[in-house]
Amino acid sequence: MLSAILMMLVLGALLGAGLGIAAKVFHVEPDNRVDYVATHLPGYNCGGCGYPGCSGFADALVSGDTDSWQCKPCKPEAKADIIDYLKNTPGPDGKTITVRP
Amino acid sequence: MFGELVTLLITSVLLNNAVLNQFLGLCPFMGVSRKKSSALGMGMAVVFVIVAAGLVTYALYYLVLVPLKLEFMDLVTFILVIASLVQLTEMFLKKSSPALYKSLGVYLPLITTNCVVLNVCLVNISNGYDFAHMLVYTIGTPLGFALVLYIFSAIRERLEVANVPESFKGNPVALVVAGLMAMAFSGLAGII
Repeated sequence: MLSAILMMLVLGALLGAGLGIAAKVFHVEPDNRVDYVATHLPGYNCGGCGYPGCSGFADALVSGDTDSWQCKPCKPEAKADIIDYLKNTPGPDGKTITVRP
Repeated sequence: MFGELVTLLITSVLLNNAVLNQFLGLCPFMGVSRKKSSALGMGMAVVFVIVAAGLVTYALYYLVLVPLKLEFMDLVTFILVIASLVQLTEMFLKKSSPALYKSLGVYLPLITTNCVVLNVCLVNISNGYDFAHMLVYTIGTPLGFALVLYIFSAIRERLEVANVPESFKGNPVALVVAGLMAMAFSGLAGII
């Protein structure tokens, strides 16, 4: 009984440590423009744009899935701000994104 | 000895195929067979996970569980190992091939619950394979899975443009095709 518990603990710790190291090695730099766009969208998650929630739309804008603005409840200032931000901030590949209003 | 290993390889790839003869791993078989490229990626991911899981669980069983007389813990420990390996594969794919990572979607973490993986690990133990047999069986079974998945995806790509009756469109006709494939593969039983 005790040996079973100890064995599971040791095995779990070993595998966990292995995964921790792997997470460092295979770390992917997240595109922080997605975060910026997602936080500046209204956050209603209404789905009116056809993407799963505001983060889905932010992801689609940054990845180039769509190049036109489809968020209806967004305030005009926030919309202008996001379009301006994407136009002036280069991503990891050094390219900027132009969104049609 | 050598002939026996070749027989085991052919048996595990074709005759005792994981999908068509043992009906294991049907979830990714239906789920990721729409496109040839994602079917190939899924096949490779499964080959990697099964070979790694087979080797690790075999070593774990005979080097740790048997000396400690904890053979009854095999199921729990094997699942722990498989889950970690799938997690590792996921990280690796996310880094090396984001497109494949996206196209596999939810089916990538679902390799954890792909019964082919656990089946290979448990059969290695329950059949009492020695190292060479274990290695051949562990490589043969996922190769059979990948082969059938790829053939099936090629057929499904063709089915997309075929004139299928309305009520059979999509998954129903795919299941019919899978049944026909299983019958065709059972015809191979004569080669041994």
